Amino acid sequence: MSEVSDVRAEEQGADIAPDGGAAAQPNAGAAAQPVPEPHVRRLNIIGRRNLFFALSLIIIIPGIVSMATRHFALGIDFAGGTEITASFANHPSLAEVQRAVDAENLNGTVIETSGGSYIVRYPPLNAAQVTGVQNDLQSRLGSTNVQQILVVGATIAGETILLSLLAVVAAAVAILALLAWRFHNVPGGWRAGFQFGGSALLALLHDVFILTGVFSILGKVFDLRIGEIDAFFVTAVLTVVGFSVHDTIVVFDRIRENLRVSQRLSFEQIVNLSIMQTAARSIITSFTVVLVLAAIFISGGETLRGLSLALLIGIISGTYSSIFNAAPLLVVWRRLQPLR
Amino acid sequence: MQLVLSWPIRLFVVGVLVFSLFVDGAGYVYRIANHYPLTGNVAGLPPNFGGWQLYFHRGLDLAGGTHIDYQLTNFPAGQNRADVQQRTIAVINKRVNSLGVSEPEIRGAGSSNDRITVDLAGVNAAQAQKTIGAVSKLVYTKWVPDSKVTNGPEAGYKPALTGLTGDDISSATATIDSTGTSWVVNIQFTSAGATKFDNLTRENVNACPGDTTTSLTANCAQRHLAIWLDMTQADIDHWDDASYVAKVASPYDAACLASQTPNTVCGKLLTDPITREEIAGGQAQISGSFTQQSANDLATGINSGSLPVDLVALDVTQVSATLGAESVKLSLAAGLLGLAIVVLFMIIYYRVPGLLASLALLFYAGAVLAVFKVLPVTLTLAGITGFILSVGMAVDANVLIFERFKEEVRAGRTITAAVDAAVRRAWPAIRDSNTSTFITCVILGFIGPSAVKGFAITLGIGVAASLISSIIVTHNLLAIVLTAGGFRRPALLGVDRVRSV
Repeated sequence: MSEVSDVRAEEQGADIAPDGGAAAQPNAGAAAQPVPEPHVRRLNIIGRRNLFFALSLIIIIPGIVSMATRHFALGIDFAGGTEITASFANHPSLAEVQRAVDAENLNGTVIETSGGSYIVRYPPLNAAQVTGVQNDLQSRLGSTNVQQILVVGATIAGETILLSLLAVVAAAVAILALLAWRFHNVPGGWRAGFQFGGSALLALLHDVFILTGVFSILGKVFDLRIGEIDAFFVTAVLTVVGFSVHDTIVVFDRIRENLRVSQRLSFEQIVNLSIMQTAARSIITSFTVVLVLAAIFISGGETLRGLSLALLIGIISGTYSSIFNAAPLLVVWRRLQPLR
Repeated sequence: MQLVLSWPIRLFVVGVLVFSLFVDGAGYVYRIANHYPLTGNVAGLPPNFGGWQLYFHRGLDLAGGTHIDYQLTNFPAGQNRADVQQRTIAVINKRVNSLGVSEPEIRGAGSSNDRITVDLAGVNAAQAQKTIGAVSKLVYTKWVPDSKVTNGPEAGYKPALTGLTGDDISSATATIDSTGTSWVVNIQFTSAGATKFDNLTRENVNACPGDTTTSLTANCAQRHLAIWLDMTQADIDHWDDASYVAKVASPYDAACLASQTPNTVCGKLLTDPITREEIAGGQAQISGSFTQQSANDLATGINSGSLPVDLVALDVTQVSATLGAESVKLSLAAGLLGLAIVVLFMIIYYRVPGLLASLALLFYAGAVLAVFKVLPVTLTLAGITGFILSVGMAVDANVLIFERFKEEVRAGRTITAAVDAAVRRAWPAIRDSNTSTFITCVILGFIGPSAVKGFAITLGIGVAASLISSIIVTHNLLAIVLTAGGFRRPALLGVDRVRSV
């Protein structure tokens, strides 16, 4: 793959001409006819960065408060316990099922699913108890169709939490290292590379906090079952991390390219230009993924609903953060720690 | 760029396409040609290429069945843990075979060889745990005189524990003997077991010496060594109770043993052969009037008795087949719907390039599904989600190229030059973003919780394939189609104007 250095400053000039100031005359020999900028896209994102940071904090801070004070509604993967999903031929009401479960004296709780079946949760039970519970439900509520049984002991639950945290931390560190390495060839070397990597990491943490915060609020403040976090949720967090970094890399890659070809613009102007040049792509990509996720959310059934909701929130947040947070953070960082 | 557009690369793409079509579609061609229904089991499918079968391996959440993670405890002292784990896996395998499970998956896990993961399709958890966890211990007994004993294998004698147990046996196999006519069971002892067995057989022979085939006096009760499952000292203490002995000394009853309570009395006898001679070296052979079936039964019995450790179930998952089928249907529908939406959107927004990208996307989906079959990748619900998401990633690379293509055309490049520049300049972003996702997948694949691993594998494969599909396939299609003059109209390309050459 050859280098990108053959991009002429004049071509970029055509894009930035409406910004005034740094206008460059297109070289008549290179472009046969001067091409007018077809769309006027001149949002000053960098200039209004504090507004966008504030917008993010409005969502993140309640989420952090909720996480700190109310924690999370844990799914069975993390909490441990026994979960039996069953439907009954006689279609008993929630209260009837709850009465039957209460009569077992095993501290069971009942949740009704949207599909007309019931989820009964107990503390971890052994094999004989699980069989006993099934027989008991059958005798109290009539013909029972057991769809799923999950028994998660405390050991495995603890390991799942540990492995999940480890995976998120390891992925974050690996992405920081990759970005620092990929961007250390911009003017400023490794220090600049870490500014790029660090900004991307902050944007990524933004998405992780939004997602976990919203789920903490959904699960604990609103007591919704969809707000429960489990291994699927971890999958969602890591996917969001991947997508968010995708978007951020595209912006940063454009900044890198523009830094190389345009000497006349200030860093802020280059960043703003790069955001404008890549925003369409970020929004279109996210839009297609959002469409796919919406399809899964609507038609994918109970199991995938929580996952697709998490991905929807995370990917919208990821697109927002890569446009309105990552690059502006880079500008802030560059101001605090000038490289030239 | 010249390399990507060269003929060897194009031939490679065509080769991959043909191969994927074959892997994905050959089964359906076979069904249609033979007037079989398009779904369900059909004779001759899945095709078998020398033991290599091409079909989608469904995880338990899709196929229905039981998954159990076992913790191994009470490791026998002084033995290699990895060996003990392997032996336990072999025993579980044998026990599970009796359930008639197709493709049971029993894998070792755990950082210190102290875990075993069991996946059984079509079996419910209670049945699986009963069969696997049945703690049957194999014991050898010798016979000691007791005038109060009136029945059992050796009247006038009661059994005595010898200290030789299933722990001392490394394997038992049914086989045809050296004459090639009759079935025998070969037992291989561990080195400790070999010594104990040598001593026992010497005692046997010394009790009433002679050739057992010719001398009547050589055939005494003390010359027998009986093999039992779960025989305990408590059983032996009951040996003067004739009805008790009649029950215990009947052939071992696996189902009864699996569900025994302190009050049930199950048949526990495996066999009570006579010792012909002292056996040193740890290899014994049990012969008799075995059929292939009875020899296999005895070997399985001996093996299944020797579970060398205790098993504790850490987690159990049971999914019914109907729920699994429902999940397959829903995720398939979601995947197809998602793909259709993406294709529609791409064509409306990007016109001809969008259509080409959709073709590349279909190529990509076909190739990835073929990879899933060939490797094979076990597909779970999370795995299918990973695949659907990788479609989104594959689209992303195309969008990057097309947005750049529009810019280049706007900047006044010719179509051919614009395609080339677009791919070249979009590449660093595509490469870096896919690398970051791929790294995430690798990390998840290694340290993620098990539910997440399936997701990481399919997404990782998808990301790698999307890189190839977007850079090579889309680029080639654009280069080939857009050189034809008819497609250069701005309306077809989704741009405002096109510079003529």
